[in-house]
Amino acid sequence: MSKELPGLFTVSALACAALFAAPQASAAGAPIKIGVIAEAQAVAGSSIGPAAQLAADEINAKGGIDGRKVEIVVYDDHSSAAEAVRAFQRAVTEDKVNAVIASYVSEVVLALEPWAARLKTVMITPGAASDVITQNIAKDYERNKYTFHGYLTSSALAGLVCDAAKDLLVGPYKMKSAVIVSEDAAWTTPLDAAYEKCLPAVGLKVLDHIRFSPDTTDFTPIFSKVEGLKPDVMITGISHVGTQPTVQWKSQQVPIPMFGISSQATNSNFWKDTNGATDGVLFNAVSGPGVAVTPRTLPFVEAYQKRYGNQPAYSGYTAYDEVYMIAEAVQRAGSTDSDKLVSAMEKTDHIGTIGHIAFLPKGDPHVHGLKTGAGFITGLMLQWQDGKQLNMWPKPLANGTMKFPAFIKLSAR
Amino acid sequence: MLVWQILIDGFAISALYALGATGFTLIFGVSGVLNLSHGAIMVASAVAAWAIAGSLHAGAYASALGGMAVGVVLAFATYFIAVRPIQRSRRIAEAEKEIFILTTTLLWGIILQEAVAYFFTSNAKTVLPIVEGVVRVLGVRTPSNEFFTALICWVAIGLLWLLVNKTRHGKEVLAASMNPRGVTLLGIELSRIHIAVWLVYGVLASLAGVLLGMFLGVSSYSVGPLTASAFSIVVLGGLGSVSGSLVAAYVVGYLETLTAYLISPAYRTIPALLLLVVVMYLRPQGLFGRR
Amino acid sequence: MRSVLRVSPLPLATLVVLLLGVSLPFVSSGYVLGLLTVAFYTAVFAMSWDLLFGFAGEVNFGPTFLIGLGAYTAGILDARLAPHVAIWVCVLAGAVMAVVGGVLLALPALRVRGPYFGLVTLVAVLILQNVVVVFASLTGGEIGLSVPDVMSISASTNYWIAFGFMVVSGAVLFGLSRSPIGLVLEASGQDAVQAGALGFNVAKHKLFAFIVSAFFSGLAGALMVFYMGTASVSTFIDISVGVQIIIAAVLGGRRTVIGAAIGAVFLIGMGELLRPLGELATLLVSVMALFVVLFFPDGFLGMLQGRSRGG
Repeated sequence: MSKELPGLFTVSALACAALFAAPQASAAGAPIKIGVIAEAQAVAGSSIGPAAQLAADEINAKGGIDGRKVEIVVYDDHSSAAEAVRAFQRAVTEDKVNAVIASYVSEVVLALEPWAARLKTVMITPGAASDVITQNIAKDYERNKYTFHGYLTSSALAGLVCDAAKDLLVGPYKMKSAVIVSEDAAWTTPLDAAYEKCLPAVGLKVLDHIRFSPDTTDFTPIFSKVEGLKPDVMITGISHVGTQPTVQWKSQQVPIPMFGISSQATNSNFWKDTNGATDGVLFNAVSGPGVAVTPRTLPFVEAYQKRYGNQPAYSGYTAYDEVYMIAEAVQRAGSTDSDKLVSAMEKTDHIGTIGHIAFLPKGDPHVHGLKTGAGFITGLMLQWQDGKQLNMWPKPLANGTMKFPAFIKLSAR
Repeated sequence: MLVWQILIDGFAISALYALGATGFTLIFGVSGVLNLSHGAIMVASAVAAWAIAGSLHAGAYASALGGMAVGVVLAFATYFIAVRPIQRSRRIAEAEKEIFILTTTLLWGIILQEAVAYFFTSNAKTVLPIVEGVVRVLGVRTPSNEFFTALICWVAIGLLWLLVNKTRHGKEVLAASMNPRGVTLLGIELSRIHIAVWLVYGVLASLAGVLLGMFLGVSSYSVGPLTASAFSIVVLGGLGSVSGSLVAAYVVGYLETLTAYLISPAYRTIPALLLLVVVMYLRPQGLFGRR
Repeated sequence: MRSVLRVSPLPLATLVVLLLGVSLPFVSSGYVLGLLTVAFYTAVFAMSWDLLFGFAGEVNFGPTFLIGLGAYTAGILDARLAPHVAIWVCVLAGAVMAVVGGVLLALPALRVRGPYFGLVTLVAVLILQNVVVVFASLTGGEIGLSVPDVMSISASTNYWIAFGFMVVSGAVLFGLSRSPIGLVLEASGQDAVQAGALGFNVAKHKLFAFIVSAFFSGLAGALMVFYMGTASVSTFIDISVGVQIIIAAVLGGRRTVIGAAIGAVFLIGMGELLRPLGELATLLVSVMALFVVLFFPDGFLGMLQGRSRGG
């Protein structure tokens, strides 16, 4: 009878309330708001928010920037580009952030790049290696200048791996050949292309180049193929997978060492995750336990450990630096206006936790990417040994010597 | 050399698929339920085993058994939360019950998947292997674990066969799958049978999950593909036919292995998919299914 | 029972909701509008699903096959041929491609029933996913495709386009469901043999339903690409998207078409509302959805119409 009507109106009223009860736009002005979009469930992504908060709190404890406090607003994008786009839109139009630190996943960053351009908001990424990010900026500077690539590009990473290989493998072990093993993903396309150029240049002949689906769970056929080619080393490019290939490498006792990029190996929990199978794996990182890349590195790690109870992932280091960089840029520009912020960010000259940070200028094919090489960012080459990550390279920062598990056959001549 | 490598590797993978698929088809055959939380139960069992090993420092055996216990509990939970309420509901028309159960088991699977990702992160985990080291067989260096996996799978399947065909309880279950009404006429309570079936399912699925965790490792991302894979194999073999599932599991397992070795690891899943399409066109009830 | 003097509540409620919907951009923030835009496109996905499979009674995991075809066709055309081709041409091409795909899918799918039908639709989605990843140079692979054009940067404009599209689609789909064709579909969904015995060409009707569902799904997918500016596997093809659509339709109430729209808005709204909880959000939404399905199997619309239904 008339029982449905009140129910109908109640539901409609509730719906209206939910729709109209949009959060009030925060008053423009006082705090400097930085939006942080990250994948909270992924080990690499879970450090981004907390590290940013740590930086903000430190800045605020010293009085903020010209009296303004730094405020961090965190969004979980569930490793989804669509959700990240929604979060970005919310951050800029609703929560009125002045800048965004977003994601270590290339797919997500590439989906956000056009939105940073459309909404004219500075965005800097603490991870993500795809070269396309900076290529897009070079292609259309005026539109895409709001994006900054706060991590090493794939081609830069490849260069650093090759440099390390020359000092660690070709020199002492006289290695002559390599097989590139990488996951079929956007970030590995430029990585592998760069590997194919720089490996022969340092003395490692590339025998083959194997790309596997990132959904692979059974790596037996891949290792079998690699072994058949008889290289001295496997040069890796893996990020989406890590635990499984490493565990299977050990359980199958593949006699060829792994050297290169293995993002998951940078996590302090990786030893436990693989039940120790990662012993002997060599991997690139921008930070390592106990390695004082700069005077700021170890204090950051200590503070993070004290506050959150665990070690930060690599993206935590970069996110921490980026909050400082944004704050300094705001101070330099004297305002949070996006265009002025872009010019100020381009003048970044910051000693961060991963090294001396500066951006490549307009006109460079990797504009707004990090400057790499001596005096800037070189990265490290770490190796897991007996439950610890020890640094092998560059020599001045090394705190260990290379050791391989018994099943590895090295052709040491 | 390559031939033996493919044969051995394919055998182990297929055995794992077979174990998972058998449980899946059993539930369908007896309860009429397509349990879409299948993958989630497998992954949860493996992750539980990993977690027990890590936090309680239990040995490999204890963790594996602990993981299986968790899996059985979850299987029962699936029955009591997602399946039974719908089956007994008076508010849902009979014809609609199937899709409702699909939806509830799907949701339950998502809940389990998200819970695993929340508490343990979405990173892949491996279970402490019970058997370690490698053996050289026919010139092929294979992890002993692979042989162990295949052995356990077949022992489990063998035990299941014994249970269903030789024991009284098993025969009741078999009868119930053919004619539930008839079984009640014999004075046997159907609800007891359902509980027995879900118990057996729980053991099979959790065992498959733990073995998979030892062999290849799992993560919360594996949930969807595992359910889809079991579903495909079971339908290929013919719904409700256990022997069909076994054959289909080996067909799919070897197809994938051959593709990965001979063509490219990137295209591993494609031939199996194409086979499914062909079978759907030519023989929709599957290889051994009854129409 | 019903007083002749009282107006039936449903049309009145619909009118109220429509008026509210149109006037929202004047009072609400860009964020809410953006959220609802996505919710409205999802609503069209869910309504298309409900028309076909809610009525035909078959489990279908493949809405994202049709959506993905529409989205990627439109996206690839624009990425390759812009600026020589207008957005609307791309969108239409997407819808047409989805219809073609729908017919191709219908051929094997209509010959089988029950779980086999579900499998065919599942396989279609998996194949599309693999094709997109393998032909990465054309489709952008797993990182996705960026399209140079978007319909509009203004949140209000995008909102009105989505809202209008949803209302029109909803009207068409709802009208179809109540038409003789819809009744035949419903009959054949409940008992195909009897429907056939009554002289209705069940296959032809189901094929028609496939085409309509494919058209709207593909169209909605294509439009959404030009709203977001990107297309990717995880947004348009992944099984999880299909799952969300199915849950939306069942939550809202099967066989009501309108219920599917309500379910979609609820799911997306809830997910966003709970965003501050971070990782727990999806978990909680799933728990809520399970609760609704178990205790209110007729869905939201069923809850509202509960008393006036027979029995």
